[in-house]
Amino acid sequence: MSLALKIPKIRASGIWKKSRLPLVIGGSLTSVMVALGIVSIFWVPRDVNGIDPAFRMLSIGTPHHLFGTDYLGRDVTSMLMAGLRTSIIIGSSAAFLSLVIGTILGMVASSVSKLDEPIMRMADIFMAMPGIIFALVLASTIGPGYLTTIFALTSFFTPAFVRVTRASSMRVLAEDYIAVARLYGRKRLFITFRHVLPNISSILIVQFTIYFAAGVLSEAGLSYLGVGINRPSVSLGMMLHEAVEQIGISDPLCVWPGLAIVILVIGLNLLGDGLRDHFDPRFSQRVR
Amino acid sequence: MGRFIARRLFFFIITLLTTSILIFALIRAAGGNVAAILLGKNSSAEEIHKLSAELGLERPLPVQYFEWMNNFLHGNLGAAFRSKQLASHLIWTQAPVSVPLSLGGFLLAILLAIPLGTYAAKNYNKPSGAIVAVLSQVGIAIPVFWAGLLLSLVLGVHLHILPTGGWTPWSDSVVGAMRSLVLPIFTLGIVMASTLTRYTRTAILDVMNEDFVRTARASGMSRRVALIKVGLRNASLPLVTVLGLLAAEMVGGTVIIEKVYSLPGISRMILDNVTAREVVVVQSTVMVIVIYVMTINLIIDLAYGLLDPRIRVTK
Repeated sequence: MSLALKIPKIRASGIWKKSRLPLVIGGSLTSVMVALGIVSIFWVPRDVNGIDPAFRMLSIGTPHHLFGTDYLGRDVTSMLMAGLRTSIIIGSSAAFLSLVIGTILGMVASSVSKLDEPIMRMADIFMAMPGIIFALVLASTIGPGYLTTIFALTSFFTPAFVRVTRASSMRVLAEDYIAVARLYGRKRLFITFRHVLPNISSILIVQFTIYFAAGVLSEAGLSYLGVGINRPSVSLGMMLHEAVEQIGISDPLCVWPGLAIVILVIGLNLLGDGLRDHFDPRFSQRVR
Repeated sequence: MGRFIARRLFFFIITLLTTSILIFALIRAAGGNVAAILLGKNSSAEEIHKLSAELGLERPLPVQYFEWMNNFLHGNLGAAFRSKQLASHLIWTQAPVSVPLSLGGFLLAILLAIPLGTYAAKNYNKPSGAIVAVLSQVGIAIPVFWAGLLLSLVLGVHLHILPTGGWTPWSDSVVGAMRSLVLPIFTLGIVMASTLTRYTRTAILDVMNEDFVRTARASGMSRRVALIKVGLRNASLPLVTVLGLLAAEMVGGTVIIEKVYSLPGISRMILDNVTAREVVVVQSTVMVIVIYVMTINLIIDLAYGLLDPRIRVTK
């Protein structure tokens, strides 16, 4: 009893420190959602395309159909799990490819002065473009699907990675120890991998989580428009697209997929914030 | 200032030219045989060849590109292969839906986000500030179409306050047109405001620790006045970049919102024409959208250049 009362008085420490809260919450939300997505690769309660007219529009909490079924009797729980998997695969692949390409281009821009201007102007141009319109055109011309969506998202996420990599590696290259390394006779490539990359990796990890989240949102948007992921694959955006037909008849169908997206994205964004504070504590303490 | 404007304009033109090449390459490279799609499945190779030649699609791509650009710059945006409708006419009929929607959402976002972000920064250590910060965090995670779906579900389907979708043309009823735009603009505005609120908050928090804010406080300004007069203006530098990115996002949001509220705007037009392989119409429409976004960007840049001397130097 007395122990329980004392707890609030103890200064918060360890993972419960106030500044660590985003990291903990974000990390947990992300882990749960990613775990559900991974499980769905091996097992889902029911076939996601299994139409069963006898069990149409079941409500939430029905035995064997935890989140009910849709207008064709498909199990919503299974579709939510498979949808999460799609969101995670596309979001993380697009963010990862952008990370790799963007980091390479950003490093080249920061260390090869001749290529700096062309690379950065190209990045500016891509950044100013309305990505969704291009994704739309792309999907309708070469056909929707995983690869098209990942390709479209990567094209429009890469510039942000180029900018961030360039800016932060410029900062590292201006440090004294780089000058020393140069005097020591280290080659440019060695400096890049030995000194610059490790020093900017934390920034890139944060950037990755943020664009992972952006990828999840964009994929949902494209699939909602019907140019992202289509059946037999399942996507959360696509589920919402299908749920629109049932608006006013079965409203929960419009709620669950959206909620799943929001939880995953909040998780990833909080994780990004938390990681940034973790890597750079000055950021959270700067405010006095 | 003259040099600054010249530099901006130069970059504006270069960007548009590069974009036009990209658009052309993307649509043509991936487009498949346009004539074959136009004629349908039961057409012979000969017919396809004949139509391709007629439409001028057999000439080298660079020739076609320059012809398109030349026409475009002279105000001729081309016409649809099938219906022979002019692209400019098609765009002109969608604009009364898409332009008010996108600009309305953009302005609403700015009007909501700047005060909210400033408020959240000013009260960063109070619950009220934290609530704004949390709300904006949640808002960022909400897909724009889901927000639209839920709003139309609650306000339209259940409460019958506003139409759930559809469009009343301006010529039929101005009030009707505005009523059908209220919910879409509101949806777009609040979703974009979340991102902007967060950036405003961060920008102002960064500025709050600067020496010039301390000096302003020392000169007798209250915390509030110092923040708004000195802080907000100095925080505007990072905000310009965000506004630029938001302008691109605005178009994406508009496309999705139009779909949610089934408005006959630019998104439906692009989708229809892409499916029908009306390549010239699509090229010109996308180009017009890019010009629209880039012009908004240019205006924001120039306006801030006037307000803030630092931008003129640094960019």
